[in-house]
Amino acid sequence: MAESEEEVDVLVQRVVKDITNAFKRNPNIDEIGLIPCPEARYNRSPIVLVENKLGVESWCVKFLLPYVHNKLLLYRQRKQWLDREVLVDITCTLLLLNPDFTTAWNVRKELLQCGVLNPEKDLYLGKLALTKYPKSPETWIHRRWVLQMLQKECSPAGSGQKEQQGQVEPQGEAERSWHTERLQRVLQEEMRVCADAAGRYPSNYNAWSHRIWVLQHMAKGNLKILHDELSSTRLWVSMHVSDHSGFHYRQFLLKSLLGELGQSWERLQSGALNLSPLPLADALQVHRSNGDGTAGAADDHASAVPQLFHEEMELCTDLIESYPGHETLWCHRRHVFYLWHHWRKNSQGTGPQSPVLTHTAALLSEASDPHNEGRSSQAMDVDCVPDSSKHGGYTQNTKRLKRGPVPPCPGLPSEHLFVSRILSSCRSPEQGRFANAYRKWLDSVIGQ
Amino acid sequence: MKLYSLSVLYKGSTKANLLKAAYDLSSFSFFQRSSVQEFMTFTTALIVERSSLGSRASVKEQEYLCHVYVRNDNLSGVVIADSEYPSRVCFTLLDKVLDEFSRQVNSIDWPSGSPATVQYTALDSYLAKYQNPREADAMTKVQAELDETKIILHNTMESLLERGEKLDDLVQKSEHLGNQSKAFYKTARKQNSCCEVM
Repeated sequence: MAESEEEVDVLVQRVVKDITNAFKRNPNIDEIGLIPCPEARYNRSPIVLVENKLGVESWCVKFLLPYVHNKLLLYRQRKQWLDREVLVDITCTLLLLNPDFTTAWNVRKELLQCGVLNPEKDLYLGKLALTKYPKSPETWIHRRWVLQMLQKECSPAGSGQKEQQGQVEPQGEAERSWHTERLQRVLQEEMRVCADAAGRYPSNYNAWSHRIWVLQHMAKGNLKILHDELSSTRLWVSMHVSDHSGFHYRQFLLKSLLGELGQSWERLQSGALNLSPLPLADALQVHRSNGDGTAGAADDHASAVPQLFHEEMELCTDLIESYPGHETLWCHRRHVFYLWHHWRKNSQGTGPQSPVLTHTAALLSEASDPHNEGRSSQAMDVDCVPDSSKHGGYTQNTKRLKRGPVPPCPGLPSEHLFVSRILSSCRSPEQGRFANAYRKWLDSVIGQ
Repeated sequence: MKLYSLSVLYKGSTKANLLKAAYDLSSFSFFQRSSVQEFMTFTTALIVERSSLGSRASVKEQEYLCHVYVRNDNLSGVVIADSEYPSRVCFTLLDKVLDEFSRQVNSIDWPSGSPATVQYTALDSYLAKYQNPREADAMTKVQAELDETKIILHNTMESLLERGEKLDDLVQKSEHLGNQSKAFYKTARKQNSCCEVM
């Protein structure tokens, strides 16, 4: 067993080289792992490559990690110079073993800034680290730095480097579209990385928060992606019914859609009355490019929001009935119903001139904590008349909105009926508790 | 919501004899899969050995739930699932599998059979199909048939053991576990944190 300093030195250099070579041999490595192996086998490398999986035998870690760690610190303290290539390899080894070592990520930031390291390669390393440490906070934080750097590089203002060199060139059409495609690819990859990390650790807050950050920063105003995310996470949450973070993500998507639709509505309305610089035709064009694609954009918005909520409540109902006793599902129901209830209240009686946007903004700030009791002291809306002859007590609100058919809207009476239905048929004591708590919440928070 | 293993065993007078098993380890990290499988086999056999004839039970161990059905004719089945997967569906699955198994494999062969000799191939496809409980049989059907009050709930594996028996000892003595797995168990017990480096 290697014990002297020189032997350790030789061993570590070989291991770092083996790791670098493994990546060269197989550019499709998609997972890293530690192999429980208390003793080295004679003269065999601790680096194992099997079917796109890179493994490190555990016996070598106690030599490898402190040595490489110290080497990097010496470099940082300017006590020992390291070549750029060596830095790339060393930080790679370090971060695969301990991705929360911020200093190593910071060295990589410098390498990225001077162009030695390619951003996509760095994101790839992070992705691998997350297969073993799906929550690693430093990995996610570093990732956001890289994404911001990429965005600046790909923005219409041109890359920062060019400006520094005094060559501020306007981007050509081809270059612009290449940048857009690159950002699109990166965005899609981020969604995949988040989904993978979310699957590796229950209620992976860090992964889901990152996912939200990406949409907020790299997909502003993009209705299509919000809708796509809503549909692509539907199955995922159905198979992870106690994952609070997953459902919270859907709540974020709904709120964002409300915000975006509210803004588009506002633009449309003011366009129709020539109150804004955006003529109606252009406003409709904006919607088509956002994936709306229909001539009846006005009608779309009237029914888009109720449709969204209807589908989300249906999903929630379905899951609550199929998988009794999961508090997450009931929490989700509260969030969604609260959003719906207040949106409906604020958009009641809106004529063509009413600023739905301000209502939506008020709603979004109000909706940040639905567990506050008695926030709004308005009279209970009596719009949804309980109709016990119909299943679920849905009524028609079409006349009120004066538009095309609107999906049945959830309301207090239908929610109470839902609770009664659950209580009468449930056999799980937890389910009964959650149903009763929901009913109390309806009365104390919504019913005010 | 996941199923990790589905096994059929024969409960002998002193030991449980594994007849056939199917595993889905895709959600575990690649290099841990062989150890994980060994531990599942170990746990499955132990649970059957410590359950009485004609009983159904659910045993919780960390974030896993092991559902067991030991029939009066000693044929037994174990499903290892996560805590989201509805247990009702697991018991439906066990009933179905044991019923089919007993019709396809002669009971003469149960006490001495092994996965290599037993001619029953449906476990893998059952495990795959039931990964999504809604694609499997209608859950409502079971509600009428199964009396949930008769299912014993154990909050830990320890509650299955005799007084004085330690799980660590059973692990060390087990023939289901290789040396690497036993070593892995030792270190895993020591470091129970989620932020460990090694």
